[in-house]
Amino acid sequence: MAQAPRFTGQRIRRVEDPRFLTGRGRYLADLEPLGTLAVAFLRSPHAHARIRRLDVTPALQVSGVAAVVTGADLTEANIYCAGLGGQPYPPLAVDEVLYVGHPLVAVVARSRAQAEDAIDAVVVEYEPLPAVVDPVEALAEGAPRVFSQAESNLCFHLEHTPEGLDALFAEAACVVRGTFRHQRQTAVPMETRGILAQYEPVSSRLQVYASSQWGHGLRDGLAKALGLPQSKVQVTLPDVGGGFGAKYGVYPEDVVVAWLALKLGRPVKWVSDRLEAMVSDFHARDSIHIAEGAFAKDGTFLAIRDHMISPAGAYLLDGSAAVLETVIASLVLPGPYKVQAVGFRIDGALTNTTPLGTYRGVWGPAATWVQESLMERAASELGLDRVQMRLHNMVRKEEFPYASCTGVVYDPGSYQESLQTAMEAIDYPGFLKRQREARAQGRYLGLGIAAFVEPTSLGAWQPEPPTVPYESAVVRMEPGGEVVVQVSVNSHGQGHETTIAQLVADALSVDIGKVTVRFGDTAAAPYGGGTFGSRSITVGGGAALEAAGRLRDKILAIGAHLLEAAPEDVELRDGTVAVKGVPARSLSLAEIGRVAHWVPAKMPSGMEMGLEASSRYVPPPITFSNGCHAAEVEVDPKTGRVRIQRYVVVEDCGVMVNPTIVEGQIIGGVAQGVGAAFLEELGYGEDGQPWATTLMDYHLPSVTDVPRVECLHLETPSAVPGGMKGMGESAMVASPAALVLAVEDALSPLGVRFERMPLTPERVWQAMTATRS
Amino acid sequence: MSTEQLKTEAERPVAFTVNGQAWRGWVEVRRTLADVLREEVGLLGTHVGCEHGVCGACTVLVNGQAVRSCLMLAVQADGCEILTVEGLSESTERLHPLQESFWDHHALQCGFCTPGVLLSAYALLQENPQPTLEDIHEWLSGNVCRCTGYQNIVEAISDAASRLSAEKGGR
Ligand code: FES
Ligand code: FES
Repeated sequence: MAQAPRFTGQRIRRVEDPRFLTGRGRYLADLEPLGTLAVAFLRSPHAHARIRRLDVTPALQVSGVAAVVTGADLTEANIYCAGLGGQPYPPLAVDEVLYVGHPLVAVVARSRAQAEDAIDAVVVEYEPLPAVVDPVEALAEGAPRVFSQAESNLCFHLEHTPEGLDALFAEAACVVRGTFRHQRQTAVPMETRGILAQYEPVSSRLQVYASSQWGHGLRDGLAKALGLPQSKVQVTLPDVGGGFGAKYGVYPEDVVVAWLALKLGRPVKWVSDRLEAMVSDFHARDSIHIAEGAFAKDGTFLAIRDHMISPAGAYLLDGSAAVLETVIASLVLPGPYKVQAVGFRIDGALTNTTPLGTYRGVWGPAATWVQESLMERAASELGLDRVQMRLHNMVRKEEFPYASCTGVVYDPGSYQESLQTAMEAIDYPGFLKRQREARAQGRYLGLGIAAFVEPTSLGAWQPEPPTVPYESAVVRMEPGGEVVVQVSVNSHGQGHETTIAQLVADALSVDIGKVTVRFGDTAAAPYGGGTFGSRSITVGGGAALEAAGRLRDKILAIGAHLLEAAPEDVELRDGTVAVKGVPARSLSLAEIGRVAHWVPAKMPSGMEMGLEASSRYVPPPITFSNGCHAAEVEVDPKTGRVRIQRYVVVEDCGVMVNPTIVEGQIIGGVAQGVGAAFLEELGYGEDGQPWATTLMDYHLPSVTDVPRVECLHLETPSAVPGGMKGMGESAMVASPAALVLAVEDALSPLGVRFERMPLTPERVWQAMTATRS
Repeated sequence: MSTEQLKTEAERPVAFTVNGQAWRGWVEVRRTLADVLREEVGLLGTHVGCEHGVCGACTVLVNGQAVRSCLMLAVQADGCEILTVEGLSESTERLHPLQESFWDHHALQCGFCTPGVLLSAYALLQENPQPTLEDIHEWLSGNVCRCTGYQNIVEAISDAASRLSAEKGGR
């Protein structure tokens, strides 16, 4: 047995921070091999138009220009991107542009400024075509089509009506309904996307650096697009300045830049500017839920029906929100509650807008809003207390593992406890009193509650999983006793260099300073699914723990052999292998390392040399974390402005490796939830012109918008080695619902219900005015 | 006149001091201070998050004032004294109290906004060594951080202010 953990569970300062604090982090834009050429893209100003004439010759005359590429050039070279299910689409528009921001020409020049000069010189004549933006309109008879050859704009459809669903609704004492439109957003990592590619003649491979969440995926995608063997593409990830889902996948710009590097034999680099990021990064969310909930007289939640409609944009991408957000929602719509049946219908529509992809909390913000709103509305209709009604419907401790009617299985959690803890922290009875008093003075105070589950750490969640179902780790002890851990997950802010080192240091009973965690290079890191879906610490950390455990066994076996003791009589202790109870009889790890690497004669017979172990860890199909958010707000009736007075989060993510980092994820997630609930919206005019293309019109939460978040923790260990659960998305999943419901609660004397986010002061004020008149 | 000639003529000699060291060179007049600091001076710690003056990632100090280096032309910095994140501390081992406090309070995640936030905070503490939480909120409203939700940044700045004034008081 190893010692009690010294590092796991501790609030350790992050190992990676000194370089970031001193300006020594190295992000994609900071890399500039000798002779690097810069790329700029010409993007469509129209939502839908035929390209009548495209003349790039003037661009070729601009000083410094090395090449100009059009969609036709790529078609001729047979270069395509892969959408959902591998469906090919051209990286640069051919014949027609399909959305504002659609790239149609790439220019390569000595400097980015020259490339942009050349972009200005390209001559394009567009013939505007009718555009369609709204998904409901896109699916209507006679709507303009995004692809004129297609029969309709319907690009995805799935529906399911379980047996007994209609009967549950027919017999229900109370049926509540609502329309819930989650606006279009985008993740906006502060570092924009970027890629640098160069052909390495010595090893005859394409070396790619990219700001990405998944090096192996980018490698595989580029190899496929360019027709290269995977072994001939190497992807290296430098420091990544945030991702939040927007950097998971292969973008058209990636394919174009990599192809140009091969064609030109020079390093080629593209760094997105913020204006193009707003129209070319995956857009996200954007779904309409037309939902109803059936409840019995005593408040028992019986069934849900939900019709989800989503505008996928011009292409249906692999991680399209139109599919992922809605399909996952259909599985987890009941949240922490027991429901007997969930019926759903999903319609995805092609539209003349930027394609949808992923953003932190895929499925969650909309689904949690639906689930908690149905609960609130039913409580008020049935005249029941909303907290009691939630408790009544939650899965209880003794009911785990709980098989939901949707087919997913919830592992143990603390659903009722987290709600109770949150209500104690926010002082629910005290709040009700404050609210009554405030109302008497004409003030609007509200409390929003969002109890949530977060499906994390996806393993083999389907027989043929669409995502890599495992992560890997290789743990190696060098002859000198230092430990190097190679993992397949990578960090874009999450702190893997620290948390995974904490786990491994404890598993091997060494000081954390002896452990180095490495990731992000496909030539060195083992294969895996990268960082997405709140799974790095569980699946990546689980793999690291398994590998470290195997290495520990080997170290103990060698130590026991050298100490002439039975393996069960020795233990790892502070960097030594010692005979239990006889600390004097011990060997340093450096000595074990020396023997394992240099002295075959002293090794146990038949044992392989070296100190290295690996693991490919497949976790349970889904590990659910859970918790509850409670937000107290006050609405100013004169301006519609909402002030968040208090914000409480109760989180149960199993065993916490580093509570400070867990809280960092929670607080950051709540801030993004504030953005969703009150500020951020990527709107489009009917003509398909985007309203928000700068950070001046896309309002990210600033320090003055966010509340102070009070974090409380419960701990229900999972079945993963170490007992952790994922949690990187939970705060994003629960906070919009908590905030919107808080505003509705504040305005309940007026009976205001919101059908769409964000709740800008204008929308709140208008809703209040409408009900007053 | 060809574009080529126009550009050559559009270059001007520029000299400034960065982190105490003199720098001089010819700079295209259209280039921003951020670009010149990164690409000519080679100080990559100054980050560019929007290039339109909203995010504050590019914040540096010019003659003691916090400035968005994406909105300032390099030629405008001629004769100025500039401080970038690289000038805050001598090495990764000897951090400035602000940096130390950011580290202690987990005031950064991806680190991309961090140099700009540190420089803004540095300017605040120069101007107002004992800021209230409100002062910090107001001052920082021009720096966007997408990761942290700001709470730990505010605490770190507040704590650094106390550390710095304790240091001063002790002297
Ligand atoms: S890069 Fe200068 S403010 Fe954003
Ligand atoms: S730490 Fe990532 S943007 Fe601030």
